[in-house]
Amino acid sequence: MNTDTKIIGTPVPKHDAGIRVTGKAVYGHDIVLPGMLHGAILRTKYPSATFTIDVSEAKKLPGVACVITADDIDTNNISFKRDHPVIKAGEVNCIRDEIAAVAAETKEIALTALSLIKVKYKKRKGVFDPFEALKPSAPKINKFSIGNFKNKNIAGEFHYEHGNLEKQKKRSKIILTRRFSLPRMTHACMATSNITAAYSQSDGKLLLYSSTQVPFLYQRDMAHALKMNPSDIRIIQPVIGGGFGSKLDMYPFEPICALLSIKTGKPVQILYSREEEFIASPTRQPMIIDLTAGIDSKGNFTFREVNVIKDNGAYTSWGATTPFVIMQAFSSLYKIPACYFHATAVYTNNVFAGSFRGYGNPQATFALERMIDMLADEIGMGKDEIRLINANEQGEITGQGLHYQTCGHRQCLESVIKSSKTKIRTTSNERYKKGIGFASMLHVGGGAKIYRSDGCGSIVKIDPYGFCTIITGANEIGQGSETVLAMIAAEELGIALNKIKVINSDTDIKPWDVGVHASRTSFVAGNSLLGAIKKLKNKLNAKARQLMNEPSADFIYESGYLFSNQTRSKIAIDKVVREMQFTEPNELAIAFYFYEPLSEFQDKEFKGNVSGTYAFASQSIEVEVDTYTGNVRVLNVHVAQDVGKVLNPLLLEGQIHGGVLQGLGYAICEELLMNSGMILNSNFHNYKIPTASDIPEIHFTPIETNDRHGPYGAKGVGEAPLIPTAAAITNAVCNALGIELLELPITPERVLRAINGKQTSRTKKNLTVRNGK
Amino acid sequence: MNFELINPQSFKELFLVLKKLKHRKYRYAAGCTDILIELKRNPEDDLTLVNLSQINDFKFRGISQTKNSVRLGAGVTANDIVRNLNIKLLYPVLWEAAYNLASTQIRQVATIGGNICTASPSGDITCALVSLDATCVIIGVHGKREIRIRDFFEGPRQTALKKGELLYEIIIPGNKKNTVKLFSSFIKIGTRRSMECSVVSIAYHIQIDGFNKILTSGFAIGAVAPTIRFTAKACDFINRKNINALTERDAESFALKVSEYSDPISDIRATRWYREKVLFNLSKSIIEDIIKCQIEVK
Amino acid sequence: MKNSDTGSFIVNFNLNGKDVKAEISASTLLLDLIRNTFNMKGTKPGCNEGECGACTVLINDVPVNSCLYLAANINGKTVTTIEGLSCNDGSLSAVQDSLVKNGAVQCGFCTSGMALCIKALMFEYENLVNSKLTGKKPKLTENDVKKWLEGNLCRCTGYVNIIKSALELINNVERKSG
Ligand SMILES: Cc1cc2nc3c(=O)[nH]c(=O)nc-3n(C[C@H](O)[C@H](O)[C@H](O)COP(=O)(O)OP(=O)(O)OC[C@H]3O[C@@H](n4cnc5c(N)ncnc54)[C@H](O)[C@@H]3O)c2cc1C
Ligand code: FES
Ligand code: FES
Repeated sequence: MNTDTKIIGTPVPKHDAGIRVTGKAVYGHDIVLPGMLHGAILRTKYPSATFTIDVSEAKKLPGVACVITADDIDTNNISFKRDHPVIKAGEVNCIRDEIAAVAAETKEIALTALSLIKVKYKKRKGVFDPFEALKPSAPKINKFSIGNFKNKNIAGEFHYEHGNLEKQKKRSKIILTRRFSLPRMTHACMATSNITAAYSQSDGKLLLYSSTQVPFLYQRDMAHALKMNPSDIRIIQPVIGGGFGSKLDMYPFEPICALLSIKTGKPVQILYSREEEFIASPTRQPMIIDLTAGIDSKGNFTFREVNVIKDNGAYTSWGATTPFVIMQAFSSLYKIPACYFHATAVYTNNVFAGSFRGYGNPQATFALERMIDMLADEIGMGKDEIRLINANEQGEITGQGLHYQTCGHRQCLESVIKSSKTKIRTTSNERYKKGIGFASMLHVGGGAKIYRSDGCGSIVKIDPYGFCTIITGANEIGQGSETVLAMIAAEELGIALNKIKVINSDTDIKPWDVGVHASRTSFVAGNSLLGAIKKLKNKLNAKARQLMNEPSADFIYESGYLFSNQTRSKIAIDKVVREMQFTEPNELAIAFYFYEPLSEFQDKEFKGNVSGTYAFASQSIEVEVDTYTGNVRVLNVHVAQDVGKVLNPLLLEGQIHGGVLQGLGYAICEELLMNSGMILNSNFHNYKIPTASDIPEIHFTPIETNDRHGPYGAKGVGEAPLIPTAAAITNAVCNALGIELLELPITPERVLRAINGKQTSRTKKNLTVRNGK
Repeated sequence: MNFELINPQSFKELFLVLKKLKHRKYRYAAGCTDILIELKRNPEDDLTLVNLSQINDFKFRGISQTKNSVRLGAGVTANDIVRNLNIKLLYPVLWEAAYNLASTQIRQVATIGGNICTASPSGDITCALVSLDATCVIIGVHGKREIRIRDFFEGPRQTALKKGELLYEIIIPGNKKNTVKLFSSFIKIGTRRSMECSVVSIAYHIQIDGFNKILTSGFAIGAVAPTIRFTAKACDFINRKNINALTERDAESFALKVSEYSDPISDIRATRWYREKVLFNLSKSIIEDIIKCQIEVK
Repeated sequence: MKNSDTGSFIVNFNLNGKDVKAEISASTLLLDLIRNTFNMKGTKPGCNEGECGACTVLINDVPVNSCLYLAANINGKTVTTIEGLSCNDGSLSAVQDSLVKNGAVQCGFCTSGMALCIKALMFEYENLVNSKLTGKKPKLTENDVKKWLEGNLCRCTGYVNIIKSALELINNVERKSG
């Protein structure tokens, strides 16, 4: 791969920052279409109930165009398992359940109409604890659920193992068992969920302005829900105000909005209020993880035995597939001779979980990295030492079959250990105590083959004025993919960045792509674009040879010219394009390419090399704890991450900072609190995301391992920075205080309770076994 | 959200309006940072808002200093306090409470009248004013009256104001003449470092003379009882003591005395246990910090 | 200015340098007036409860949450929104330029509010410098900047580059005032 790049590796500001910083970017909230109506959704008052509904008064209200309930629509169930009705008929199963919807001339009228709808509920007891749901006496929660499981409330099950568990148990010097408990965290994107639907009754075409992260899967899902032809649905993505995984599934409000538009023949817009956003968007998977792990007398890890219970909530989203990622962490982060893994997703009457940046990995990493610290304590080794002994290596093929062609794990660890060595730990009897904690993570770095294709299509075109248009399947959700693609084109074609346009928001135009997830965009879309550019260059080169009369020349693309490598003579790129187009045999300067990563599907036992490459990262975090109040202050975060190759340091840094802060929120303050299926903190006042004052010093060291499969050697980076953060922070707090915390978030109250020797409720079942000798 | 709005430009106009509204349901709106949120969440029917923010009255909007007091109009904003260097010097507790209230944006509009009259158990500025033993000046269609701020609250969200009355001014007694040193601060504990509604708050203002004697002190606690409370017994415990004579034991006794005034609830932010524990620890820490200073003095 | 027949009010104010007039109802909020009546969509609704700062505008040069501000109170005042922050020729102002260059913009939904709040901090700082109250030159620390921005939530950037931007701009003010 070309190593002396001109643009790749430089801090190019975001390609589309200009419109965002002047208020000109059009988000879903800003769309106004002629004659547009405003939609609103009525949700249940109780998490589990049967009901009857009367909408007659609402229909009479002047300004109301349409009121719909389950009786008025003909739809298929949605969601990953098709177990989720768009509007619920006669029965509700969680507090976000949609039971009716209104379209009206103004938002106020729509809301008034909702208040006129009469609903008679018959409350049911509801099941809010997954362990309760697994009891034979529990009622079946989701009647649409399918699958052959041993219990009616199981939504999904994953089983994986490698190595000889019993043998490894015998070898172990220390065996520890702990139960870890992970909360519901919500994305809290700054822009609330939104959609604008415009149906044309004359030709039966549906246009949706939607903030989805996965437009093509969404198009298919929408068509299935509405019983339409996917190609009759066009999806245009407005500027998206935050994604982080929340827009990986299609949710009921989206087909509802489409239905309101279909019924009225007018454009309809639904905007969530902030409260609705907290109640009716998906969360990170809450989990109980029972982990037993061993270590031999030299400090080598021997085995991990894991049982995960996930609270699925009432319906099943893509998030149900998080065990793919969770098992990967347990089976393959650090060298593990044997691993037994079982995960069960259980239906409850809680709000349902979805996918969130990290996709199960922060939960898994929390459990396993906390466990490593406890093992180190038991065996009397340093927390840095034990990690180095067990670090993954280049060339390793893990028990699960992941092939680490490049692996920066050890370098990452060494880097953060070195940077935190300079810090001293105070252990005096003072009110404020300091501690340091480490954690690493492993994540897919080159996409993840969980859909039939993990590919991405690109079209690249140069116009007669020498401007380049990239039409890519990959969309932009704020993470900067547009910029990276523009940089690649600028690098390869020698065209100035301001002459490059990226088109990525319209399913009628752009080629297929599976969507933004699994940190895959730079890797997959980047490779795809490189493929298209290569084909385009072949065409341009041929023309240039002819025009310059240098039949065997090769060309270097720079500053808008093609330079012959033989004579150093040059020709302007726009001239080549004009000659191609306007002289015989009249050809367009356009090329397309579909890139499919080399990754494999995993087999039935979940073994196989699922990603094009793997990313590693380590963090060491220094905290200060106020033992009077339990407040934790994160002081320093050292991040070393194997990014393959730095494509754009400015954007990379932004991903690191943002990820670390989300991880910090996960660690110390964020939890969507629920009581008997009701959400207790559905506003920013009580659901706290970190503010500017909460930020620690973040010191970032990129580790470049130059993966030969990645564009210029790069790997995916987007999710990694938040994955180990909560684990490292909690390790630091435990080290500072000599306590054992097994539950997130470590709120001041939980910390103070631990200091005062009061165990918190949910963690029990903890065991230590020492094998004699 | 739907209401009528009346915008009197002077108190004269205001009282005319109030007389007219005698039989109607009305509420005042000042900075609107509390009331609009309340009305957005729970709209009230047939409500009239009487807007205080266009009233042109020098005293209502101003901060003035007399020989032995500082007067703050109820229309003074948190930011007016933050900008006032005199207050920063004389009443650090009040300045800190204002500086740590909500956010920059909210501080520009949030008034002390609103903070007091909302009568929230966790009102920050109010807590500081209670520790300073301030007095509320109330005006109404029937004239003017004064009431100590610690007596102003009758329960959560309930004040001593009668219909036709409003809060006009707050008077803070001046510091003692022979005060040479102040221990005065506002402590606010929540789960995040900022933009936080307190889970526990303590306001204190301790005046010390040239011989290290505590001349007088004021402690108020917030968010740990139905109303903000002045902890008189704790004050009595340290008043007239020499700070050089304070011991760790005193810190504990003091904290116990403060705790007697608390009667916290458990809610989603924190349990009763946590609030009590933190209140105790922080009360103790105040005396401990003073003890640390005494070592510095030596 | 109240029209007693319709219960509506007329307000006159200056919006981004232009004198404007609008008819509003008693409960109209400034945020809706700007977005719906004046059709300027750069001011963002993030929570409508004063918690996120996305709706921040400058009123007489100080930052205020427009979602908690009665439009009736805007009469006679000056409002600056993100649309008014750009230079007259449409090019980026110093604040905007600095946010872009420092990589302080990701999804951008918080950006309008952030930019205006930083602008207000620059005003505040200039005033401090000019007031000469303290004798010696005032200094703004990183903590002051963080504190100033506490009311602006951002879920993408981790704030680091936003703060860096603000500090750079303040230092420029400092240098200019020499
Ligand atoms: C995001 C956010 C964060 C916040 N953080 C804090 C915080 O950290 N600490 C804190 O203490 N508070 C906080 N608050 C609450 C609020 O900002 C303060 O209580 C503020 O001081 C209220 O003042 P206001 O002028 O806006 O009151 P308004 O909302 O105008 O009025 C509040 C109440 O007082 C009445 N009232 C107002 N003035 C008078 C008067 N002169 N006479 C009689 N009655 C009157 C009104 O009728 C109303 O019932 C926060 C609010 C928000 C939205
Ligand atoms: S929208 Fe006004 S502060 Fe969030
Ligand atoms: S850039 Fe997305 S919220 Fe700040």
